[in-house]
Amino acid sequence: MARSLSSMVLKGIAVSRSSRTVCGSFYHNGMRYSTTVPSDSDTHEDFRPTNKLESSPLSLKDVVEQDVKENPVMIYMKGVPEFPQCGFSSLAVRVLKQYNVPLSARNILENPELKGAVKSFSNWPTFPQIFIKGEFIGGSDIILNMHQTGELKEKVKDIAANQEKSE
Amino acid sequence: MGSRGANLVLSRANRMRAKLQSALEATALEIDDVSYQHAGHAAVRGTADSETHFNVKIVSPKFDGQSLVKRHRLVYDALADELQSGLHAVSIVAKTPQEAAAAK
Repeated sequence: MARSLSSMVLKGIAVSRSSRTVCGSFYHNGMRYSTTVPSDSDTHEDFRPTNKLESSPLSLKDVVEQDVKENPVMIYMKGVPEFPQCGFSSLAVRVLKQYNVPLSARNILENPELKGAVKSFSNWPTFPQIFIKGEFIGGSDIILNMHQTGELKEKVKDIAANQEKSE
Repeated sequence: MGSRGANLVLSRANRMRAKLQSALEATALEIDDVSYQHAGHAAVRGTADSETHFNVKIVSPKFDGQSLVKRHRLVYDALADELQSGLHAVSIVAKTPQEAAAAK
């Protein structure tokens, strides 16, 4: 199990084929994780975190550290940005999509170990969790509030500017 | 905890209220159980937990000078036991007494 963990994590970015609506912190059916690795052919490349970790054996904490360092806007969520499986994750994605920034996401429903690693990394009990430029921002209440106050615009200004340059 | 009449097993909302009140000295506290909005979700279905999703509006002097993240952490810390025993999600509005007064 542990051996295949980092490769599972790296594939965990994929679109879930399940259409069930899930909004909770655990699955009852643990078998899902050990038997299926969903195809990621449906995932838009904008939402795919960089994958250079693939060959190196990393602990999940390292994976999270790397994620938040390398992706200016990183969200750990239930479901994927195109198909969130929880209202709070959906809200957070909708807010972030208002800005011209690349959004990197991992689906914590695909991987309970990753979910645990993210929780202990941030010391935050719920999902979604958003990191901007390596800084822990919070969940959907906070991102919505920052959107409303204009604080979020200020925070992602330079990311959006870089994005325009590269377009 | 003012129990009136028959002594029922405390609901999660009541436990949350007591914990937030004592930990954060809340001057105003609203707790709504919105679990019904999430009933039937795969993670909740079939478990004994029916009290899983709550909206919390809290006003506390302890939020003074604290960022939103820190305020939410204070709330989560006070509810740590609940989060470990089936509480899935809390939507939090956390204000200082000054902010709450200004909003009126």
